[in-house]
Amino acid sequence: MTEHDLKRALGLAASTGRSAPDPADDLARARTARTARSRQRVRVGLSSLAVVAVVGVGATVAVTGQDSPAGPSADSSDTSSPGASDAPGAPDAQGGVQLVAAKFDATPYTFDLTPQGWSVQGQNAFGVTIAPEDGSVSDHRDDFEGKLVIMFEARPPGGRPVDLDGRRFWITGDSGYTTISTWTVAGEPHGAVRLQYPDDTGWTEETMLAFTASVHVGDGAQIPGRGGPPPAGMQSLDRAAAERPRS
Amino acid sequence: MRDDDRSAEFVDFTHAHRRDLMRTAALLCAGEEAHAEDLVQTTLTKLYLAWSRVRRADSPLAYARRSLTHVFIDEARRAHRRRESTMAEPAEALPSDPVSAGTDLELREVMLAALSSLGPRQRAVVVLRHWLDLDVAETARILDCSTGTVKSQNARALTHLRAYLGTTEHHLILEDTP
Repeated sequence: MTEHDLKRALGLAASTGRSAPDPADDLARARTARTARSRQRVRVGLSSLAVVAVVGVGATVAVTGQDSPAGPSADSSDTSSPGASDAPGAPDAQGGVQLVAAKFDATPYTFDLTPQGWSVQGQNAFGVTIAPEDGSVSDHRDDFEGKLVIMFEARPPGGRPVDLDGRRFWITGDSGYTTISTWTVAGEPHGAVRLQYPDDTGWTEETMLAFTASVHVGDGAQIPGRGGPPPAGMQSLDRAAAERPRS
Repeated sequence: MRDDDRSAEFVDFTHAHRRDLMRTAALLCAGEEAHAEDLVQTTLTKLYLAWSRVRRADSPLAYARRSLTHVFIDEARRAHRRRESTMAEPAEALPSDPVSAGTDLELREVMLAALSSLGPRQRAVVVLRHWLDLDVAETARILDCSTGTVKSQNARALTHLRAYLGTTEHHLILEDTP
């Protein structure tokens, strides 16, 4: 029997036979990703011009020009400079996500607000995946990269608490995503609703909170591990909004 | 900041720390080097897109390691639909061709097999706590879970690793850290 300490064993396991590639390759990939993101922002900015009805929950959430997940709304006049700083809270986006007062259904989850330019890509009893319509993300519904993901979980909410209209929400964020979670309300299945928003896609803290507060969890919702998944499906949020009467 | 400055800093950072990130990724991926390379590439791209945050971080490398872990957890969530557990009982996890004690290469192979028999989150806890030497609170923050969950996952993971290696001729000396 040979004895080893864990750190040494992990050090051996961490060794790789690969030589380090040229950092220029990483830089080229990163620049390509930035170009794709910039195109997406331009598209979001243009689509926002057509928005006629913008609502807020408790406060106005009409926001353009801020892509940071935290902080107050930015002055839209600051949004026209393509080279603006990308520091958190700094308005370097070309536009922000617009929420319109239109319900849509992703059974068993329903929403009182509809984000313009985003579509339901996958839905089941455990949650909903909503993707931007600009083609910047994968079509695979189980790939969450760059998408808004609604999850229903037993795990308690955690993070920075924020109260909105008498309801408490918790905000956490790191590595390109901001997550807002809250307990379900009376009459809904008990659990935590957790919405994971991709940063740099036009969502502000206000719009994220407003959209999270608009989620209703129906009876068919299930917490993973407590039942089997029903069929998935897709629909356009804009189409769903157009087909339903305004609330 | 100017694009040239950002790019120059990014290249310097990558040149200095890519190997470190690759080693951490190799542990998270239990030795699957192609997967580890994908994780590192994805992480570096995310870092470039949020470079101002990297610059402001107390430790850019620590920030990068946290980002790497998030990318790994996100991918594991996709693959496993957010629920995973230890994949095999130690008695069932014996390598098909048991190795004998002695060389570092043998220990490496056994250790990678042991790591691969852990679920992704337990593996991440082991890497964060025992490779990156993060405390319980920081590990919990990165994994977005409670400190109690970190402690229990860590205890289960270490018990599993100890049992797994116990089926070989290697033996792990583990401190009883939570």
